[in-house]
Amino acid sequence: MTQHFVTARRVREWRDYLTAYLMIAPSTILIFVFGIFPVGFALFVSLHKWRLKRGNFLGMGNYVRALDNLAYILFFALALGLLLWGWRSLRGAQRRAAEHGDVFWWWALPGLLGAGMLLALINWLYRLLPELLDIADKIIGVEKTRALFMQLLSEAFHAETAFAAWKVFLVVLLGFGAMLAVLLWRGWLQRGDNPGYFFAFWGVWLAGLIGSWLLWVTYHAVQAAYAAALETGEDPGIWPQVITIGAGVILLVVSWQLWQAALRQGSNRSFFGYVLAAMTLLVGAWLLIGELPVVMAAGDKDIWQGLKVTIFYSLGTVPFQLTFSLFLAILLFQKLWGSELFRMLYFLPYVTPTVASAAIFRQLFSNRYQAPVNQLLIKLGMEPQQWIREPRGIFTLLAENLHLTIPDWAAGPSLALLVIMIYSIWTYIGYDTVIYLAGLGNIPTELVEAAQIDGAGRWEVFRYITLPLLSPTTYFLSLLAIIGTFKAFNHIWVMRQGSALGTTDTFSVVIFSEFFEKLRYGYASALAFVLFAVILSLTYVNNKIQGSRVFYG
Amino acid sequence: MAEISPAERRSPQHLVEISARVVKNVSIYAFLILGVVISITPFVWMILTSFMTLGEAQGIRWIPSELHFENYTNAWREANFSEYFLNSVVITVITLSGELSFSILSAYAFARIKFPGRDAIFGLLLSTIMIPAMVNIIPNFLTVTWLGRIGPIKWINNWPALTVPFMGSIFAIFLLRQFFAQIPDELYDAARIDGAGHLRFLWTVVLPLSKAPVMVIMVLSFIGSWNALAWPLLVTNSPDWRPIAVGLYNFVEEAGQQLNLMMAGAFITIIPILLLYFFTQKQFTESIARSGLKG
Repeated sequence: MTQHFVTARRVREWRDYLTAYLMIAPSTILIFVFGIFPVGFALFVSLHKWRLKRGNFLGMGNYVRALDNLAYILFFALALGLLLWGWRSLRGAQRRAAEHGDVFWWWALPGLLGAGMLLALINWLYRLLPELLDIADKIIGVEKTRALFMQLLSEAFHAETAFAAWKVFLVVLLGFGAMLAVLLWRGWLQRGDNPGYFFAFWGVWLAGLIGSWLLWVTYHAVQAAYAAALETGEDPGIWPQVITIGAGVILLVVSWQLWQAALRQGSNRSFFGYVLAAMTLLVGAWLLIGELPVVMAAGDKDIWQGLKVTIFYSLGTVPFQLTFSLFLAILLFQKLWGSELFRMLYFLPYVTPTVASAAIFRQLFSNRYQAPVNQLLIKLGMEPQQWIREPRGIFTLLAENLHLTIPDWAAGPSLALLVIMIYSIWTYIGYDTVIYLAGLGNIPTELVEAAQIDGAGRWEVFRYITLPLLSPTTYFLSLLAIIGTFKAFNHIWVMRQGSALGTTDTFSVVIFSEFFEKLRYGYASALAFVLFAVILSLTYVNNKIQGSRVFYG
Repeated sequence: MAEISPAERRSPQHLVEISARVVKNVSIYAFLILGVVISITPFVWMILTSFMTLGEAQGIRWIPSELHFENYTNAWREANFSEYFLNSVVITVITLSGELSFSILSAYAFARIKFPGRDAIFGLLLSTIMIPAMVNIIPNFLTVTWLGRIGPIKWINNWPALTVPFMGSIFAIFLLRQFFAQIPDELYDAARIDGAGHLRFLWTVVLPLSKAPVMVIMVLSFIGSWNALAWPLLVTNSPDWRPIAVGLYNFVEEAGQQLNLMMAGAFITIIPILLLYFFTQKQFTESIARSGLKG
C-alpha cells in the first residue's frame, strides 16, 4: 500500500481546518486582546509606578503598599502553592505511567522545552510591551502614515532588550519545533498516554520554574526591605511576621487534616480524641494568625475599609435575600391563581436598569426630611435620618437613641451602607425566587407524597425533603451572591455620597475610584489582582466546604 | 381521591377543612401582596414624581395635582436624553451585530468541525469567564487609548471603544456551541451530498433552527449594553457618544435638584427594557436566570 502525502481526503481535511480557523479567528482575536492579554498587561501595570503615564518599575511595591508585609507572605504562599501543585501532579502522572508500564522520566526534556518556550515568549512580550506603548507617544503631533507606523514598529522590535529577548525566544522555539517534529515523525506523540505525560511535565516545569522565581523575587524583596529598614533604623518586623503567620497557616492545615481523619474514625473515643487535637491546633493557629490584623493595619486604610464594607455587605444581604426568596418561592409554588403575575412583578426590580433604580433609591432614602422614607419615619414618630449621607454605624445610632455609647469596633455597617444593602436585597429577591422556583419544580413529587403517607407534616417535608433537595440551588445562589458582592459596582457608584466618607465603598468601588478619580493605574491594577485572588479563593473554599454538604439529588 | 358524598360535604369536619383552606390561601395572598407592594412602590413613586412640578416633587406629596407631561419633553430635549437614547440604541445594534456574527461563526467551528487545537483553544477562551471585570478594565482602557492614537480612527469617545471589546463573547459562543452540537450529523451529511459547504449549511440549516439561543444572546447583550456604566464612563467624555446609563448618572450627579426631570429620565431609561420584558417575558426570564449576569 503506497501512501500519497497529498490525497483528496487530506486536501478536504486541510480545507476544513482552514475554514475552522478563519471562522474562530474574529472572536478568538477579540477575546485574546480584550480578555486574556489584559490579565498579563494588568500584571505589568501593577508592577510599575503608573499614574496616568508609566513610571518606574516598582516590583512588589504596589502590593506592599496595599497590604504591607502581608504581600510578602501572600507571594511566598503563592510560590509554595505552585511548587506543591507541581510536585503533586508530577507524582500523579508518575503513578499513572508506572501502572501502564510506560517510559516516564524521558518526557521531562520535551516538557522543559515547552515550558521554556512559553516563558521565553512571555519574557519577550514583556520587554516588547513598553516599546510598543511608547509608539503612541512618538506619534503625537505627527501626521499618521502607515510608513511611519511601520518604521516605529520595526524600531520597537529592534530595541536592545526586546531584540535580545526575541533571539532567546527564537532559539528555544526552534529547539521546541525540532523536537516536536522528531516526536511526531517517530510517532511517539501519537502513542497511548504519551501526550498526557508531555503536558504533565509541561505543567510541572511551568509551576516549578514560576514558583522558584517567585520565591527568589520574594526573598530579594524581603532582603531589600530589611536592608532599607536597617539603614533608617526602623524595626522591619517582616521575618517575625512571616514566621508567625506562616506557622499559623501550617497549623491550620494540619488541624484540617486531623479533622478529616477524625471523620473517618470508627470508634467514638478516637473520634473525639482527633477532634480535640484538631481543635487545639486550630486555636493555636488562630492565635498565631492573630498577628494578621497588626500587619493589615499597616496597609492601605482604604483597602481594609473596602474589605470590611464588602464583608458587611455580603453578611447583610445574602442570608436575607435567600430566606425571603425561598419563602416567596414556596408560596408561589402552591400554584395559586395569579402566581405568574406575582412572579413577573417580583422580577421587575432585577430587570430594571441598575442606574435608574439606584437613582430612585437615592431619592427615596435622601437625607431631605421631605423624602419618602424620612416622611415615613416622621409619621411613625421617629427622627428623620441622613441615610445615604450617614457615615456612622447603625449600632452606634441605635445606641445613641438609647443614650448608650458603644466602642468603635461594634459600630457595624454605616447607615449609608444599610441603604445599599436594602437596595441589593430588593433587587435580587426576584431573581433568587425565580431560581428557587425552578429548583422546587425539580423535586420529584413522589418523594413528597411518600413522606406524607409516612405521616410527615408540612414542616417535616420542608425540613427533610425540600431543603436538602434544594441545597444545590442554595449553593449556586449563595456563591453567585457572595462573588456578586465583591463585584458590586453600578448601584453603589450611583448612590455613593462624599459625606458617607467611603463607608459604602466595596472592593470594586475602591479599585475604580483609585483608577478613575485618583489616576493611580499601577496601584489600582495591584488591587484588582488582590480582588481576583480573593474571588478565586472564595470560590475554592466555598467548593470545599459546601461541596461536601451539598446533596445533588 | 374518592368522591365526597353530599352528607360528608355538610359534615362539620369538612366545613372546618374548607375554612382552614380559606385562611391559608388568604394568608398566602397577604404575604404575596406585601411582596408586590415592596417591589413596585419605588416604581410607583418614580412615575408619580415624574409628573409633578419641581415644587411638588421636592415636597412631601405623593399624588401630582395635575399631570405635567412636559417633564418628559423637557428631559428628552433639554436634558439630552434623546441623544443618549439614540447613542445607546446605536451602540447596542453595533455590538449585537458584531457579537452575533462572530459568535455564530466560532460556535459553529467549535461544535461541528474537528481541527487541531480545538479543545485547547476553547478551554483557554472559557477560562476568561472567571476573570473579574475590574482586572481587565485598566489594561483595556490603556489598549483602547493606544489603538486610538496609532490607528486611523478615534477609539475614545467614539463607537469602537464602546462596542468592539464586547464583540468577542465567550458566553455567547458557549451557549451557541452547546446548541449546535445537538444538531444531528445526518443533516450535515445530507447537505454535503447536495454540495453544500460549512458556511452554506450554517446559513440554511443551522441558523433557522437556532432562533432560541440567538434570542437569548440578543436579550442578554441588550441588557448588558443598556446597563453598562463603568466602562462607558471611562471611554466617553462628552455627550456625543454617551450611552443612556451614563447620561442618567451624570444627570443625577449634576442636576441633583431637578427631581421631577430626573425621575422622567429614569423612566425613559427603563421603558425599553420594560417593553422587552413584557413582550418576551418567558425567554427574558429564562435567559437571565440561566446566565446570572447583570452589571
